[in-house]
Amino acid sequence: MMFAFRSALAAAVFSLCVCENLFAENNDPASAALSKLIDQKIDAANQDSNLTPAPLATDAVIIRRTTLDLAGRIPTVAEVRAYLEDPAPDKRRELVERLLNSPDFAFHQANWFDETLMSENRADDKWLQYLRSAAAEDRPWDQMFREMMVPPTDVAEDDVSQHAKTFLKKRVREPDDMANDTSRLFFGVSINCAQCHDHPLVEDWKQDHYFGFKSFFARTFLTKSDKLAEKFEAEVKFKTTAGEDKQAKMMFLTGDTVDEPKVEKTKEVREAEKKLIQQATKEKDAELPRPDFRPREQLVQVALKPDNQHFLAKSIVNRVWSRFFGHGLVHPLDQMHSENPANHPEILAAATQYLIDNGYHLKPLIREIVLSDAYARSSQWRDEKPPYVDRFAMGQTRVLSPRQYAISLIIATSAASRFPLDMPAEEWAKQRLNLEKQSYSLANELELPTEHFQVSVDEALLFNNSSRIQNDLLRTSNDRLVGQMRSQDSPIEQVTTAFWNVYGREPNPDELAACREYLESRSDRTDAAIQQLVWALITSPELRFNY
Amino acid sequence: MPNRHATSGLITPSRRQFLGSAAALGTAFAADMSTLDVLQNPTFASELKKQQKHVILLWLAGGASQLETWDPKPGQPTGGPFRPISTSVPGVEVSELLPKLAERMKHTAIIRSLNTKVGDHGGGAKLMETGRRPEPGTDFPDLGAICARELGRRDSQVPDYVSMYTSTEGRRKGTSGFLGSRYAPMFLSDQMTPKNIARLESISVSDHQARSDLRSLLAKGFAEHRQNDLVASHNTAYQRVKGLMASETLFDISGEPDSIRAMYGPTQFGEQCLVARRLVEAGVPFVKVARAWWDSHGQNFETHRELCADLDQSMSGLLDDLEQRGLLENTLVITLGEFGRTPRINPSLGRDHFASAWSCSLSGCGVRGGSVYGKTDPKGNTVVDGEAKAGDLFATIFEAVGISTHHEYYLGSRPVPIVDFGCEAISEVLA
Repeated sequence: MMFAFRSALAAAVFSLCVCENLFAENNDPASAALSKLIDQKIDAANQDSNLTPAPLATDAVIIRRTTLDLAGRIPTVAEVRAYLEDPAPDKRRELVERLLNSPDFAFHQANWFDETLMSENRADDKWLQYLRSAAAEDRPWDQMFREMMVPPTDVAEDDVSQHAKTFLKKRVREPDDMANDTSRLFFGVSINCAQCHDHPLVEDWKQDHYFGFKSFFARTFLTKSDKLAEKFEAEVKFKTTAGEDKQAKMMFLTGDTVDEPKVEKTKEVREAEKKLIQQATKEKDAELPRPDFRPREQLVQVALKPDNQHFLAKSIVNRVWSRFFGHGLVHPLDQMHSENPANHPEILAAATQYLIDNGYHLKPLIREIVLSDAYARSSQWRDEKPPYVDRFAMGQTRVLSPRQYAISLIIATSAASRFPLDMPAEEWAKQRLNLEKQSYSLANELELPTEHFQVSVDEALLFNNSSRIQNDLLRTSNDRLVGQMRSQDSPIEQVTTAFWNVYGREPNPDELAACREYLESRSDRTDAAIQQLVWALITSPELRFNY
Repeated sequence: MPNRHATSGLITPSRRQFLGSAAALGTAFAADMSTLDVLQNPTFASELKKQQKHVILLWLAGGASQLETWDPKPGQPTGGPFRPISTSVPGVEVSELLPKLAERMKHTAIIRSLNTKVGDHGGGAKLMETGRRPEPGTDFPDLGAICARELGRRDSQVPDYVSMYTSTEGRRKGTSGFLGSRYAPMFLSDQMTPKNIARLESISVSDHQARSDLRSLLAKGFAEHRQNDLVASHNTAYQRVKGLMASETLFDISGEPDSIRAMYGPTQFGEQCLVARRLVEAGVPFVKVARAWWDSHGQNFETHRELCADLDQSMSGLLDDLEQRGLLENTLVITLGEFGRTPRINPSLGRDHFASAWSCSLSGCGVRGGSVYGKTDPKGNTVVDGEAKAGDLFATIFEAVGISTHHEYYLGSRPVPIVDFGCEAISEVLA
């Protein structure tokens, strides 16, 4: 992979200049100009190539899409009806505001952090608690980065902030994993490619970068008391392409190096330090080693220097963008370098500046993205060939995450009366926590989508033949959709109820006819027929996808 | 720089077209599936035999000893108590623990010169499953997933990749990596039949089909004006369910004649080898049967006496059965594990992990039977001739079953060669 780090830095500096100009007309850079700017830039680029974007999506699609994206679940029937009936001209803005401030937001944001940072589908409760506490207060991303790199060791056992360590703890066995995943996930650069791909421009320094970055993690280890500690010394050595043995120098992606102060140590001091480390790895109540020089702390400092912080800011902007559009401004997300330019560089630059100006709080950025017209376009394309995703000329049909799908399945198959509109916020927060817990085991059976995701046949077999689907989601009790439909007299009423519950809309005439026929022809086994109808609805792509 | 728009992912145009048309066809496509039961249709089955190549991987988990299998060292302090025996191929000797396989050496090629360097179970398994060292951030597919993709039929109604691993020791599911879960293994761990493949009793066959048809109708409405690979993959997965459920019978060996079952032996490994044959016969391109407990740090010789007997019986039965059915010429049978075992015998009469000079075997499809490639020194400590890496073995396997070793996958704009850099097939063992 072609990593011209110097050029990447130049590009970062260049893009900064661009965005200063962009905001020059506006004295308040933190104002709501970003969503307008997003639309201006996308529309202008599409006009240039004679591409007419898809029309805005309907209200029903908007509330479903936005609720899935901000709350991590489908809207309830009551929420959909209220939104459709609301005559207010700026109801979309109000919807976004309500969702951003709902308890759901923190849960979903935490799940998103978890999926992004851990790339696995298992809920580690302590780690999720940390992420939820951070998401609830919209903790700045640079601060979260610092907490994950240098987790506090001196806090109480029950202080959730100590569980920021989970990020490194799960990777602590392999310094290469700590280094590459940190670089990939926080800075958008997959550095491991720099190991094996030759590039004429970077030949003389690429290994210095790779091993220099790895040096920040070479001393990290996990103590017997489950604390993330650092050794007093450890060097990373490597063989250059010319075959020389070389010691790596701690180095950030820009080439910025960190010098370790030279300290002369007596033999006794060295031995004592060694012993301390040994004890810490073997004994639970051993003293925590506290070296004066801590490489991970140095990494945080060098990464957040004004000249360097755009790596962190641009990468998170790109990931947030990709979450809402199914495609990054730079894509793939871990290939942010000069050979792989942004599809809309001005948007990336402006959004990055916006994030920095807003103190790295993610919520304002998310609000601006979600309020853009680009986000709100229909995902249907009536002409022959839909435009390439990076034109952002239409809504993308995106697969739900396992947790989004599992929670949405529970909501879709619960009796609508379980979720009244006027539920107090505290009550709803409790309900939401229950939904999270109820959904974990089903979510864990589903695969977490990655770049080249396809729905697996295992999933289809699970939904077809697993007793958990039949006995849980399709239960006939009164608190369930199936139970609610059982109490209704006419098939038309039953079908309409099911469509509203699962899809948030009326059935169209063809659907109504087919579903009604399905129920009527099974009047000797109505419970089973209702279960089968609900099964067909919840396994159809209309619930599986965010469109 | 390559045009990103032209290479938006792994899916080749033909596959994209297929998925698109499958989605567009909707219920019509689903209805066609009802005719499919490959075992019931002799014409179709024989056609498959001609066209399709298969791989059965016998995975010796924990690491089998090369000295007690394919590379005996008689008269050496490292040699252990077992003698070498001659085989049906003049000049080729194997351990006396494999008498039946010795008689069938005309089908088998031995590679005695693997030097794969990675000597821990996790790392060794990853290397020998994927043919390359892991790279953080790039999720490489394993051999089964690659074969599933390259040898499988796009519209296949049977599984592409079945992985059986009943033991708990070192249980590994296998991964389709960046190829996506279309090529993920159907994994059998707790039982002999796959999870969720059998219909619940609470629903009748006709209702199971009817609700599936209703689902297809709703899905078709949704797919209108949405050309989307992901949505298509969702529908494809549901459309494959019926065929896969029909393949439940493939896992049931109770109908096999006693004479056939006796060939494989009465062990679980033997029964799984028989299931593998049934799967291959029905068109499954890749089957992995894992046999654990080879990790003989203590009592290496007793362990191998028992496990080699099982391997000898089951694999001989498999080769005979495949040959009788005309399947062996299109089916490659591999024995492989994460590494071999040390020539040095430790104080517990065990052999430890050893990745610098060890062996594997290839039998059947595309293989020059009776050939031996590579050589270790008299004690077995080092490779002295024909050193082979994991990637070389993978290239050899690909060539044997007709997969181009020059093939590349695209991760965005990044080409990933199907065979690791600097590796090539060992032509000496290929027919």
